[in-house]
Amino acid sequence: MDVFFLENVKFRFESDLVLDIGRIEVSSGVVTLLTGANGSGKTTLLRVMAGLLMPEDGIIKYKGKAVIFGKPGLKYRRQITLLAQEPYLFQGNVMLNVSYGPRARGMNISQANKKAEEAILKTRCEGLIHRDAAKLSGGEKKRVALARALAAGAETLLLDEPISHVDEENSELIAGIIKDLAASGITLVVSTHIPEWTNSLSVKNVRLAYGRVV
Amino acid sequence: MEYLLDGFADGLMRVLRSDPEVMRAAWVTIKVGFWATILASLIGLPVGFLLATARFRGRGFAITVFQTSLGLPTVVIGLLVYGFISRRGPLGFADLLFTPSAIIVGLVVLAIPLVAVFSMTSVASVDERVRETALTLGASNGLVAWTVLREARFGMVAAVLAAFGRVSSEVGIAMMLGGNIEGYTRTLTTAIALESMKGEFGFGIALGVVLLVIIFVTNLLSRYIQRS
Repeated sequence: MDVFFLENVKFRFESDLVLDIGRIEVSSGVVTLLTGANGSGKTTLLRVMAGLLMPEDGIIKYKGKAVIFGKPGLKYRRQITLLAQEPYLFQGNVMLNVSYGPRARGMNISQANKKAEEAILKTRCEGLIHRDAAKLSGGEKKRVALARALAAGAETLLLDEPISHVDEENSELIAGIIKDLAASGITLVVSTHIPEWTNSLSVKNVRLAYGRVV
Repeated sequence: MEYLLDGFADGLMRVLRSDPEVMRAAWVTIKVGFWATILASLIGLPVGFLLATARFRGRGFAITVFQTSLGLPTVVIGLLVYGFISRRGPLGFADLLFTPSAIIVGLVVLAIPLVAVFSMTSVASVDERVRETALTLGASNGLVAWTVLREARFGMVAAVLAAFGRVSSEVGIAMMLGGNIEGYTRTLTTAIALESMKGEFGFGIALGVVLLVIIFVTNLLSRYIQRS
């Protein structure tokens, strides 16, 4: 069964039709790669899939069930997590950020910290654990945000330009982490405008232009 | 000039030897200021949060009303509250006039718009990504609101401390509703007004110094919280 199934999904920003997706199917076991130039609709599509933007028309199903948007969509939102292109880290240290998802799911502090530590190890953020989130570099922020998304325990990760605006060292690290995640069976939908780093991954390419699949 | 210098010297001496009349006025000021700030915050903070985050019919009008209320003359607030709590007023049965509680009621009316507008600005300036990040990490609606509040907490605390500074330095409401009764409703500001009219410049200076110290400490606290 498809993890995601989208058909005739339209999203309008004010009067402009910025997304007009004919059909996209996302399966597990293969990384779905959204490519396209800046402004092609990758970020909007991921935000729609994350339940943050409600399309004006179309069908979006997650594991066979229609996606519920807005306030009643909590159950859905707990199955998927979006890593934004410019992730926001909450005020406080790295551990506080990474343990947010487990705490949001009702875990106590020690359980949440344990989950966070596992994610921190996977994303190689051990050295950052007590650092103030506001004082991290762009690349470190992305790694911490990735750890936070992983700790949330979502089955599907939507990653928006995960290696853009980061230095070479961090971009290699993040690419390696994504490869490990793909191998571990997590469903990944990744947007990128520089797809070369995904060459060693098993990917299904979905190319967007002007909000449409081309 | 000598008159001024003598006044300052007399004022400082009274502060240094903890003049009982000055200390009583300071205590009343802190007491009514504290309770007025607490009550105004209990109302103003949620109102500010709602104005910043909720979308409802008449929101723009409500914001304009609160912003306009920031400029309300304190004597007008004093007059309105006086009308309500005087013996012939609708709340006259409570027998509040010329009590510290009457001053607190007036100060609450003064401080609510200040706390509401400052906290609204503080919450509205929180990055939109905070809400979205919390949502995508599986937070419930309550936790999303709490997360936004947490990010805005320094601004909220600053709003509360600014309200305390404002109510502590207010004179019109305290005079009209408290009646300036020594040791009971006489605040530092009403005492300054009285003593300066009597020509007791030094006493007025002493009261002013204590008032400035209270407001200075409040601002120091606000600055410390914002910087941390």
